[in-house]
Amino acid sequence: MSMDRRGFIKLTAAAGAGLALPGGLAIAAGKGTTLAVAKGPDPAMITRRAVEALGGIGKFVRKGDVVVVKPNIGWDRTPEQAANTNPEVVAEVVRMCIEAGAKKVKVLDRTCNDPRRCYVQSGIAEALKPLDAELKHIDERRFRKVKMDGRAIREWPLYSEVLDADRLINVPIAKHHGLARLTMSIKNWMGVMGGRRSAIHQKLDQALADLMLVIRPDLTILDAVRILTGNGPQGGSLKDVRKLDTVIAGTDQVAVDSYGATLFGLKGRDLGYVAAAEDMGLGTSDLSAVRIMEIKA
Amino acid sequence: MSGSRRRRGWLTYARMASQGGFLILFLYLLAETQSKGEDTLGPPVRLFLDFDPLILLSTLLSSHSAPVAFYLSIVLIAITLALGRVFCGWACPLGTLNNMAASLRRRTAGHDWHRVKYLLLVFLLVSSLFTLQLTGLLDPISFLIRSLSLSIYPALNHAAGAASGLLYEHGPAPSLTDSIYLWLKGGLLPFNEPHYRQSLLLGLLFLLVIGLNLHERRLWCRHLCPLGALLGLLSRRSLLRRSVSEACTGCGACSALCQGAAAPDKKELWKSEECYYCMNCDDACPEVAVSFGFRAERRQAPLDLGKRRLAGAALLGTLAVPLMRVTDVSASVDPLLIRPPGSLFEGDFLGRCVRCGECMKVCITGGLQPTLLQAGPEGLWTPVLVPRIGYCEYNCTLCGQVCPTGAIKRLSRDEKVKVHIGTAMIDKGRCLPWAHGRPCIVCEEMCPTPKKAIWFQEADVRLRDGRTVKLKPPVVDLELCIGCGICEKQCPVVDMPAIYVTSAGESRSGNNRILL
Repeated sequence: MSMDRRGFIKLTAAAGAGLALPGGLAIAAGKGTTLAVAKGPDPAMITRRAVEALGGIGKFVRKGDVVVVKPNIGWDRTPEQAANTNPEVVAEVVRMCIEAGAKKVKVLDRTCNDPRRCYVQSGIAEALKPLDAELKHIDERRFRKVKMDGRAIREWPLYSEVLDADRLINVPIAKHHGLARLTMSIKNWMGVMGGRRSAIHQKLDQALADLMLVIRPDLTILDAVRILTGNGPQGGSLKDVRKLDTVIAGTDQVAVDSYGATLFGLKGRDLGYVAAAEDMGLGTSDLSAVRIMEIKA
Repeated sequence: MSGSRRRRGWLTYARMASQGGFLILFLYLLAETQSKGEDTLGPPVRLFLDFDPLILLSTLLSSHSAPVAFYLSIVLIAITLALGRVFCGWACPLGTLNNMAASLRRRTAGHDWHRVKYLLLVFLLVSSLFTLQLTGLLDPISFLIRSLSLSIYPALNHAAGAASGLLYEHGPAPSLTDSIYLWLKGGLLPFNEPHYRQSLLLGLLFLLVIGLNLHERRLWCRHLCPLGALLGLLSRRSLLRRSVSEACTGCGACSALCQGAAAPDKKELWKSEECYYCMNCDDACPEVAVSFGFRAERRQAPLDLGKRRLAGAALLGTLAVPLMRVTDVSASVDPLLIRPPGSLFEGDFLGRCVRCGECMKVCITGGLQPTLLQAGPEGLWTPVLVPRIGYCEYNCTLCGQVCPTGAIKRLSRDEKVKVHIGTAMIDKGRCLPWAHGRPCIVCEEMCPTPKKAIWFQEADVRLRDGRTVKLKPPVVDLELCIGCGICEKQCPVVDMPAIYVTSAGESRSGNNRILL
């Protein structure tokens, strides 16, 4: 994306999503989308190698940027239980952003369980301690209504720090979900929705695709170091966890989630929100049209 | 107090420093009575309760078992036997607040009501002997923690939030005032905005006790406090004693400053059990005739409480037991009386709970609320989980950690997740997939048990427009549901949720069960 985030948000707000989108989308979902799939025993290492394969963090973060890194920290679970993004993956993303000269790196999530327990028990608070990153709890006063004129939701309060960031990096984990079947990158953005977000389950797939109209990450890094195969999205039993030692990086969330689906024996379009997003022209689920770089690390 | 003209001895300054220090410690521990995300709390937040011998004695009588850290209260008994009722004058945070409030008025008339507290003590202990535990209603430490946690502190927090909002909108330096507010939220103010039932009532009672100082200095401490009465009785045998030399002219200067109405001007008829060792009489004496020491001869007024009064208090304490319990039997089986995880069986629970409010203060979601009559009159201000306010967080064990008496057992995380505090049931008439043909899985998504206690009975449902949709209506697995109530809290059917928890199936009860 050539335009910075603030400019993009202003433009969409001014002109309406419909007018501003097609130009931006062509870049995000255009031909030749690339995914980097890195495998190896060290979560930090494979994260770094995956991003390097896409051209390095410098392609996505510039000196002086305010970056928001959005992991899934939704649940009061430990890293072994694979309900939150792996803390080593999150820390490595933050480290790369700092190396690229980011002015500020903010890490946040609107959690489902008690926020204090989620931040601590996920291991993410500990992992970020040595880094100059800002891990703050959501301040309920900082949501801002955003018009998206989607097919399921017209407007919704979203977290202003996400809307105002120069760069946005999505760092979800791949896991099972009772309604969505799987939750990965596209569904991870529920974590920046304010208000009574649980109501969107009534039209979940379309609502998630609608959200993509206004929240447009520069980079998505899907954590599949451990995946949760059942009793998601919070799990709790190690019997439902599989260790894949994999990280997938890309710029097209539809492609990332489609690749993620294959880890569970599904196809991208088996997921309603992937289909809805693709039908709106927000990305491609056709992995045969995607350049996939596999890296052993 | 009579202001700066007064000459103060170093002991008085030491006493004031001690009072201030203990009050700050008390408030610090209160503010620390909240989660930081770890499994345990750092500071020993229930320390003041642990030191309270009234809680020790009444718990021993009512439940034939000792509080969790009872040995600390034995320390206070030993201190009182050595030094007298110094706790009231030097350490008690409620005493200090009373002291401060009393200083707002220079002189107040005294009443001869000091016996009331001894009679209250007898009443409370006799009823504890017959298993009725009402001590916490009047115990000063329980009273203060409860009042501050459930009323004053939430009110201050609310005021701070409202003030910062107002300053943000209309103030001259919105970013400055907002950063001050955020700084306060980072430490002094609670993480979540606390809301408690009966905050108003509890706050008014607190203000009443503080306000009584304007009628008479330390009226609560002098005439009502049952802990003061207990320490006073111990104090009659204390080693530290007061003596008055021949230089005393009987001018009465000491009497006007005495905090405890201990009749310091009466020399041999000094009431040792009413003395807080505040040292004001020493300071006040123009003849320097007062001294405290371990060698002085024991000279004190006899304590005559009256045999009939004592018998009356004991009789009332006895009668209170059946009276409290015949009032309304149905109250004891209120289906919404969901007790915190680890709570003892109801009778034993009520025998131990001192209603200090620690569990409610520490509850990570704020769901633990004080009862009014939900648990019967005997259960006033005991904790009940109200899931619509806050659910029981699956991995959290804090309420059991802070309970001073073991009314809520301290459980490890692995023990706690096995405890059923109730059972969720679905109201099919309100549930979106069951009644309205709309997808919703929020209860299942939120359900925290590793094998989910909510599963889907997948079904094809014909809608009004003729379309058929696949829905996933939720069903509760009675064996797995622990009654944590997160489903009820998060159910998108606002006001009356389509899934809610009742106490049925709670582990602590042998009868309140559904399954074979």
